[in-house]
Amino acid sequence: MAETTPTPGGWRVYAREIRFLAIFVAILGGGFTLLSLNAVNDAVIVPFTAGVARASGAVLRAIDPAVTMEGTVIRSPAFAVNIENGCNGVEAMIIFLAAVLAFPARWTARLAGLAIGVVAIQAVNLVRVVALFLTGVHFPGFFDSSHTVVWQTVVILAAVLLWIFWAHRFAAAPPAAAGAE
Amino acid sequence: MKRSASPPADEPRGFARRFALGVALWLAPVAVAWVLLTPFYNRFLTRAAENLLRLAESPNVTRLAVTRTHYFLITRTDFPPSRGHLSSVRATDTHFPVVMLGAFFLAVPGVGWRRRLGALGWALLFSALFHVVSLFFWVKFVYATQLGAWSAEHYGPFGQNFWGLGKHLLDLPFKLAWPLVLWAAFYLRRLLPR
Repeated sequence: MAETTPTPGGWRVYAREIRFLAIFVAILGGGFTLLSLNAVNDAVIVPFTAGVARASGAVLRAIDPAVTMEGTVIRSPAFAVNIENGCNGVEAMIIFLAAVLAFPARWTARLAGLAIGVVAIQAVNLVRVVALFLTGVHFPGFFDSSHTVVWQTVVILAAVLLWIFWAHRFAAAPPAAAGAE
Repeated sequence: MKRSASPPADEPRGFARRFALGVALWLAPVAVAWVLLTPFYNRFLTRAAENLLRLAESPNVTRLAVTRTHYFLITRTDFPPSRGHLSSVRATDTHFPVVMLGAFFLAVPGVGWRRRLGALGWALLFSALFHVVSLFFWVKFVYATQLGAWSAEHYGPFGQNFWGLGKHLLDLPFKLAWPLVLWAAFYLRRLLPR
């Protein structure tokens, strides 16, 4: 018997891609606009960044007892860094969050993905801060390019690959069966 | 009936694992290509952004230049030469995510080389446009917020916030998410439920 389901044509062929990208861009732009407000920055981002600095300082102290903390500044006799916005993994977390929320999936899969993703991204970011500090101590000439190019790429790459693993392995259930939308 | 929007029936198993391995393998060669092409690309960006700026200013007073150490410099011909360049930004910070983009597009498993390279070509073209617009916003951000009394005289609160927020969004989240946005535009259906 002949199939009667109409085949979408024109831009509708790409409706799911367009929907994903529209939601992704809206959450990403809205999220960063919200975080750029002084009140939100002071209440959320600054304390969160201080927590990242404390955790990184604790790991570095375990590696080298000469490392000390002074607010968000991590210091050793040879090198010091100030952990600021941009060093806290928040960009990668929001990119991951936007991608997970924009992808058609059950809410349980989304929540599980977000919980695991946030922890994993922060773990990668912790490695980044520790590695950057050690780079500053032992290879100061490489610190600048490692800081802006290499480790930023690694953290974003980790977020994107986590999302692809999540989307492909755990979230790819038909929306009708999953009741996602 | 198979809808044309559905992923192919022979979608390879283990897509995510093969994709991640592919990305890991392609990162180094793409990074080498990026390092080699950066001087030429920087010159293209300064020319293109300067031309875009000329559409938005009269007379044409903005001059962009790039140093051997990969810094973009802004000067204005209506400012005294003694003032030198007004601001600088490292060019490689603007376009390093293109390394991620190249690796993402070359690593997609189960796609023929012709289609893979075609998609990469389009993605690079869109990225170049994005970088030119980012540079344009950076210059306008400098004019609107970084030149003290001159900025206050020429830009109101709305203009300062508009160019400041625009530069912030293009410089952080969208710059870093751009490879994913383009990858999703071309290959999202490989992840979507059938």
